[in-house]
Amino acid sequence: MEHSLIDPSLGEAWRPRVIGVRSTRREDDAILRGEGQYVADVRLPRMVEACFVRSQLAHARLLGVPLEEARAADGVVAAYAADDLDGVAAVPDLHKGGRPVATYPLARDRVRYVGAPIAVVVAADRYAAEDAAELVVPDLEPLPVVAGMDEALAPGAELLYPDWPDNMLIDAPASNPDVAEAFAGLRSVGGSYTIQRVGGVPMETRGVVADYRNGRLTVWTSTQYPHIVRTMLHYVLGLPEGQIRVIAPDVGGGFGTKAQIYVEEYIIASLALRLRRPVRWIEDRYEHLVTAAQARDVRFQLEAAVRDDGSIQALRGQILHDLGSGEMYPPGFNPSFVAVGMLTGAYRIPHQQIGVRCVVTNKTPAGAYRGFGMPECTFALERLIDKIGGELGIDPLDVRRRMLLDPGEMPYVTASGARLDSGSHREAFERAVSEGERLTERARARWADNPDVRIGMGVATYTEGTAANYFFTSGHWTNQDSCDVRFDPDGGVTVGVGVSTTGQGLHTMVATVAAEALGVPIDNVRVVMGDTDTSPHGLGGFASRSTVVAAGAIHKAAGEVREKGARIAAHLLEAAPEDLELVEGGFHVRGTPHRGVSWGDVARAALVRTVDLPPDVEPGLEAKAVFVPPGVAHAVGEDGRLNACPTYANATHVAVVKVDVRTGIVAVVDYVAVHDCGRVINPLIVAGQVHGGVAQGIGGALYEDFGYDDLAQPQSTSFMAYLIPTASEIPPIHAEEMESPAPEIPFGVKGVGEGGIIGPPAAIAGAVEAALAEFDPPELTATPITPQDVHAIVTAAGRAS
Amino acid sequence: MKPPRFDYSRPSTLARAVELLAASDGEGKLLAGGQSLVPVLNMRLAQPSVLVDLGLVEELRGLRREGDVLSIGAGVRQCDAEKSPLVRDCCPLVPQALRHVGHVQIRNRGTIGGSIAHADPTAELPAVALALDAELVATSVRGTRTIAARDFFRGPYTTTLEEDEVLTQVRLPIFADARTAFHEVARRSGDFALAALAAVVRFAPGSQTIVEARLAAVGTGGTPVRLDQAETGLEGRELTPETVDAAAADARAQLDATADQTVEREFRRDLVGTLVSRALTEVRP
Repeated sequence: MEHSLIDPSLGEAWRPRVIGVRSTRREDDAILRGEGQYVADVRLPRMVEACFVRSQLAHARLLGVPLEEARAADGVVAAYAADDLDGVAAVPDLHKGGRPVATYPLARDRVRYVGAPIAVVVAADRYAAEDAAELVVPDLEPLPVVAGMDEALAPGAELLYPDWPDNMLIDAPASNPDVAEAFAGLRSVGGSYTIQRVGGVPMETRGVVADYRNGRLTVWTSTQYPHIVRTMLHYVLGLPEGQIRVIAPDVGGGFGTKAQIYVEEYIIASLALRLRRPVRWIEDRYEHLVTAAQARDVRFQLEAAVRDDGSIQALRGQILHDLGSGEMYPPGFNPSFVAVGMLTGAYRIPHQQIGVRCVVTNKTPAGAYRGFGMPECTFALERLIDKIGGELGIDPLDVRRRMLLDPGEMPYVTASGARLDSGSHREAFERAVSEGERLTERARARWADNPDVRIGMGVATYTEGTAANYFFTSGHWTNQDSCDVRFDPDGGVTVGVGVSTTGQGLHTMVATVAAEALGVPIDNVRVVMGDTDTSPHGLGGFASRSTVVAAGAIHKAAGEVREKGARIAAHLLEAAPEDLELVEGGFHVRGTPHRGVSWGDVARAALVRTVDLPPDVEPGLEAKAVFVPPGVAHAVGEDGRLNACPTYANATHVAVVKVDVRTGIVAVVDYVAVHDCGRVINPLIVAGQVHGGVAQGIGGALYEDFGYDDLAQPQSTSFMAYLIPTASEIPPIHAEEMESPAPEIPFGVKGVGEGGIIGPPAAIAGAVEAALAEFDPPELTATPITPQDVHAIVTAAGRAS
Repeated sequence: MKPPRFDYSRPSTLARAVELLAASDGEGKLLAGGQSLVPVLNMRLAQPSVLVDLGLVEELRGLRREGDVLSIGAGVRQCDAEKSPLVRDCCPLVPQALRHVGHVQIRNRGTIGGSIAHADPTAELPAVALALDAELVATSVRGTRTIAARDFFRGPYTTTLEEDEVLTQVRLPIFADARTAFHEVARRSGDFALAALAAVVRFAPGSQTIVEARLAAVGTGGTPVRLDQAETGLEGRELTPETVDAAAADARAQLDATADQTVEREFRRDLVGTLVSRALTEVRP
């Protein structure tokens, strides 16, 4: 398939020149020197600071918000409750898939989670604002609390939204006659699988600075998508988009947490309009852990119709998803639909029927987090496959081998309709397993003398949909992105893109792709992103999309510029354009390397000495392009199936764990990730994505948990309780790349941002279960796996024997 | 997460520090390494009227041997005690325990006295103080007194220090014939302990016979506890796998009788038993 990637204008023998080269990231110098510019670094004259008064109760009627005392406090500029913010509309429920929640940025009649913003106090600094906020005691009348999914669905449950008949934000049953048929004739193996509530918890919390002057509102916000924030500000505040500029400066991690539009963004912007002075809000860690979007919190009921060889003919089941209060846009239910779409992963499983039921509870609203449904469905399916192996007495690795897809089957349309374009599913699996087995043996030998240690290995294989269509998620935006490529007269290039970075290296990626496409040195490419005034329109960075859509757009725009450049060069060289060859830095006549012109010569002719242009060529050397990822649908088809992504990455992960059976402590001692994200642009950045994702996945498998008590009071309100893995908990990660180029995407690239996080819960649970085999453990069906869980298994076995 | 208003003083003498503390009428707080106090201030869980910063008080810095006693100034940084050859030679239990106190960055700021006076129920240094029967020296405008470690810890974050007293010195006995170990179980490296154990075992010269055993555990209650039953059982015995098992069982039995019966507590008691076995196995000559 490789020939389809070759751009004819680059010559038939195109081999990547800078794509694929491991090079350091251009972002890092400034970041490592502390010269990054984050929202908190935006300091404007006359700037004031905001602090929110947040609900202390999970569910209550809001009867009043006395603000007099706060307004009179030292240093206070203003204080507002919902009634004082006229002109701030409810957040539009743009996604029609679920029941509308009609969230007002500040609570109006009711609060539905601890941390819901009730009032905002603006003062000279954050200290004064917090002092005054403490003086605001909202009049709250407690309502019965719905602390979890089962309570939410119980008959007679308190309703979070009194005009709804129940607490379901969305209920999407499924039916499929092929599934019923499969189950009628085959053995059924099933289980219930739970992933706890976790979240992205980026190093930089959220933050917003807003300033209104000269008729324009400028909003700096720590977001993954400035253009989308701008449109939403327009919807909620009523300002024309041309009067709004949204800037995502350096962003210290997003992970999906910042692919939401938060009520604080509307409020801070509206305060700047109202006060006519810059207003700043920097979220503190307590606020972040209590109010930023949380994710997962799902329970899968999953059942397989199994043939005698262990392979699966059909899957059926239901996903139950706790959305918290549901007051979040884009809505929190989307990961469950991605889980439906990606469930069968890299396996040949012909049929499925998976219902989705998303309920509202009095927890923090659910939203996006890296992986977005894929860690959840991978956990459920891989755990179920291990169970099938156990019940049938077949090695679970062999069960997997019987179902793994082969390259010859590509493109393969899965039971959900996902069209897997290419991949190395079987080979990645075999490589990872064999490396995992070697490392497992090594670990066994290393701890052979320790009677308290057991070693186990677990496997997880998945496919990762990348550059997913956003229409299904947002109900509003679709999937395109854009770029503009513009030469300076000296041959330097500026590339503006609509994708937006959160620190994952997109500037380097864009520069590399542009350098490749134009034949210029990477250092001659300036990259512009993250600012609605200077970047072309785009949807930002999420869903492992940035590389795919930016590369697509750059490919298109660069092609136009290259073609024009070749015509100008040919004129300057008195040669025919088709006789020219694009080389590093410019053009020369094929076979005559000394007869050449640089991009600087070409650009100068195009922009300065236009007298040197051929008569039929207009001045200027730039192009804009929009890329629409091919092959994706915007709605579920009549057959209930949908392809949401233009290309799919794949990987197999193997975790090797060491379990101390007397303390219950689980340590991941080695982690193997054989992954395939198509053509690799920069191996260093890809490795960074894989390593970071695996680390976050280990956090979810063993440590992190947003717990709530019976009154839905959050229990993980600081890093003392929300346990993020540190460097000490992260083992050597043995990452190996395979390259199955995406046949329909320019340069053959696929996304890689989320892959690393998908495997760990399944692989680690499998490894712990294997390590504890002699204790006859029950199936490990929930994360996080805690020392106490392990201790309970070992103790129970001791009692039994 | 910004503290409310407070006054701040940074005296350079102990005399001035205790005066300021006395003048605050119980509303003042002492600031040493700040590793526990500053987060608590930022979360507004403590709202002192005045912070008396002990950072410049030279009298709290000393680290010296006085005969059979190692005297550590309360203001000595944990990292300095951890790396000190004197501490290592006199009381190896101290660096053994300090390795488990948070991470390097925390130990760079945290102080020996601060951790003991803060009396976090899962902290390592209170266990060390209790295991070694440390003498804790406290000073106030009213004078100076010495408190035995056994009389010092009263509950979670609660000690017998009076409101106007500053912990100034931690005096640890030096045992030439002791072998020590510190074991801990935590969710992550550097975390608060699920359980931890400080063990000091003195052997008769040239033998495995135990002269005295001191075992202090944290994690099962509001204060560190001495495992008296296990200690008594070990005295005069040789340290064999059987006596180790018996000591672990004694430890569990003692904790069973004194603590509540939740699943989590039971888990922690089992952990202490495991740590007793491991620590005793380690100290075997």
